[in-house]
Amino acid sequence: MTAPLLEVEDLRVRFPLAEGTVEAVRGISFTLGRERLGIVGESGSGKSQTGRAILGLTAKPGEVTASRLVFDGIELMTASPQVRRSLRGSRMTMVMQDPRYSLNPVMTVGQQIIESYRAHAPVSHREAKRAALAMLEDVRITAPDRVMALYPHELSGGMGQRVMIAMMLITGPELLIADEPTSALDVTVRGEVLRILDQLVAERGMGLILISHDLEMVASFCDRVLVMYAGKIVEELASGALGAARHPYTRGLIGCLPKLAGDSHPLPVLTRDPAWAR
Amino acid sequence: MAGTSSSLAAWLTTAEPQSRAQARLGHAWQGFRRLSRNPTAMAGLAIVVLLIFVAVFAPLLATHSPIASGDLRTERLLPPGPVFWLGTDDQARDIYSRLLYGSRLTLAVVILVSVIATPIGLAIGTISGYFGGWIDRILMRITDIFLAFPRLVLALAFVAALGPGIENAIIAIAITAWPPYARLARAETLTIRNSDFIHAVRLQGGSSLRILLKHIVPLCLSSVTVRVTLDMAGIILTAAGLGFLGLGAQPPTPEWGTMIAQGRRFLMDQWWVAAVPGIAIFVVSLGFNLLGDGLRDALDPKAAR
Amino acid sequence: MTTAPPLLEASHLSVRFGVGRLTVAALDDVSFTLAPGESLGLVGESGSGKSTVLRAITGLAPLSGGHLMLDGVAVPTPRRMDFFTAVQMVFQDPYASLHPRHTVDQILAEPLAIHRIPDAEARIVAALKEVGLGPSYRFRYPHQLSGGQRQRIAIARALILRPRIVLLDEPTSALDASVQAEILNLLEELRRAFGLAYILVSHDLAVVAHLCERLIVLRQGRMVEETTAAALRDGSVKADYTQAMLAASKGFTRPAPADPAIAPARNI
Repeated sequence: MTAPLLEVEDLRVRFPLAEGTVEAVRGISFTLGRERLGIVGESGSGKSQTGRAILGLTAKPGEVTASRLVFDGIELMTASPQVRRSLRGSRMTMVMQDPRYSLNPVMTVGQQIIESYRAHAPVSHREAKRAALAMLEDVRITAPDRVMALYPHELSGGMGQRVMIAMMLITGPELLIADEPTSALDVTVRGEVLRILDQLVAERGMGLILISHDLEMVASFCDRVLVMYAGKIVEELASGALGAARHPYTRGLIGCLPKLAGDSHPLPVLTRDPAWAR
Repeated sequence: MAGTSSSLAAWLTTAEPQSRAQARLGHAWQGFRRLSRNPTAMAGLAIVVLLIFVAVFAPLLATHSPIASGDLRTERLLPPGPVFWLGTDDQARDIYSRLLYGSRLTLAVVILVSVIATPIGLAIGTISGYFGGWIDRILMRITDIFLAFPRLVLALAFVAALGPGIENAIIAIAITAWPPYARLARAETLTIRNSDFIHAVRLQGGSSLRILLKHIVPLCLSSVTVRVTLDMAGIILTAAGLGFLGLGAQPPTPEWGTMIAQGRRFLMDQWWVAAVPGIAIFVVSLGFNLLGDGLRDALDPKAAR
Repeated sequence: MTTAPPLLEASHLSVRFGVGRLTVAALDDVSFTLAPGESLGLVGESGSGKSTVLRAITGLAPLSGGHLMLDGVAVPTPRRMDFFTAVQMVFQDPYASLHPRHTVDQILAEPLAIHRIPDAEARIVAALKEVGLGPSYRFRYPHQLSGGQRQRIAIARALILRPRIVLLDEPTSALDASVQAEILNLLEELRRAFGLAYILVSHDLAVVAHLCERLIVLRQGRMVEETTAAALRDGSVKADYTQAMLAASKGFTRPAPADPAIAPARNI
């Protein structure tokens, strides 16, 4: 057994506000190999803050503590900001929810991909361009040279998200954190983007953390699923084993979705037990 | 004492207000709390409160008459001392008392200009932004024409036409002050007018007038208030400038700008005659600017959580 | 079957945006009827024109063709006051559909004031109760409420005029799954209690099947298929596009590992 790609132990994210400190993530631990890990939770569960904390992107007043946060043998909590910055973008990276907000509107797609590549690899412009074209082909964009010349607003949602993935994967990262990568997309496009992500992650032997509110999607996509509630991991599930969920929160979350097959009226409502948050 | 103040705070900050008034007061209280966290804004507020206090109680605080001359032989151009705290001017009048009474004029200018200019700017801006089309084009071109002139020059032209005097100065300043508010209100309206909560009122059958007055204007009000507060310094300076040029308040009215104009002849030897009202203008302008900056942070709806 | 006219009849609706050569047909020849107490779903992806249908009904988007009949009478443009007492709408984003500076009380009092309905006090308290909120919520500002509570307020505002048709524009897509269940249950309850007819716009087939008996599938402003929730459940929908949406909504299916690149990489 090789050392895991990422080890997280007792990760906490706190936000000191005027009204008192809010703890968004309250001591979570997990390890990630070169696999697909899903983190599922509702809004406010701390799932997105977990992803940001790993990358070192926690927004300003937030404080991150962890007894261990090790990426490929590097202790991130004690690493210098320079080390973290060079890791971010080259070896670990993130795909956000809506490509319209994460792409620069006044630069063409090609310029952005080339720039993000050259920021981390000492290559010529021509080489970077060749790599960008190849990368766009990998995310199954037909006529990549035409797409390179487009501005972000000229892309459809699915195309934009594929460009985002291309931009983030061109430096050959080992860890990809995808925060709701498909929730801004139409259902029929969603599958396509997930398939591309799936194939690239498998081919390159990357570790993927997929953060989403969509329990069914995550469970059908990932090898393991962590269910978060109020900043804590309440349950870990194996792929496709939603039926084996034990925790009342997870079961409630599955139960309260309207279903095409076997729907119930009224829908079962999730009653929250304060003990879950303890 | 501590018990009542803490229960009052709890009443104001409760998540379950029992009446409209309580909800409004609680909202205002939270805005004030945000403002009070900003020390420079509180300094600005203190200056403005002091100005109001001085203006209201000028007759009680003054030691001499602001207008009647003293003994021209012995009391003219005296330096600050125990009898005339801030000295006397060339007419042997007590500068301290004139300063106190002058605050009334300054306050009147500030209040009247904001009372006249803010509604004009809000009305033109929100109507322009809400209806769009040719109404927008006509109203905005008029606004542009007013914006194209420097404020003091335009005010000078109006005062020259209306005749010198503090009332005309106020009208002239108000006429020149509204265009930026109209611009601001229009920009705010453009972002609001297609939001769902405005659509919802339209779907209830609300008239355009109702939407403008009850839904759009209250949202524009906070940013316009901030802008007006920040503009106060400029308004005070314009009023003083008109006074200095002899087109504002007429002697012997104790207006700060007029006082500087009268003192400038003695600037070298009796500097306090011009410097004291100058410092007063400076402090009050600074106070409004600091308060405006603080209000911007406190009233910003995006920061409000 | 019945001779009575349908509650709402839309025939050959079309809406165009833009002018001259830049016109885009947002809606092209869409027709449907809505019976009293019935619930109709409009399904489609982004750009399908499903929300434009609602905007065309309410008059927020001007019709460039076709016409609307309410109770067998043509709906005039601009809409008259009696239209607004018959048709109300709940918007998608509960964070954008409530005035940020108005308390719940002001929000609910506004429609009553516009229609000069007396006894506002009692009706506001009753409206809050109908959507499952106590009187303690009455004087709160929207920023003091959760997303689900805001959507309940939006529903209360729509129902306070006692409409017969409620237009629901993705009413749960901005909410968490557990809150979505509560809102869907509330909508069902209210429909039963007041005999409401719904037009529900959604991209989520399961939500539409849960709340509606009939649905229309839209794509790029045109009707693809008119079908029933039952057909959706047993998979007997006819159009390929509907089938594709149905397949996509069932979660991620990994392609069979025929591609040798996928299988070995998994075991690292």
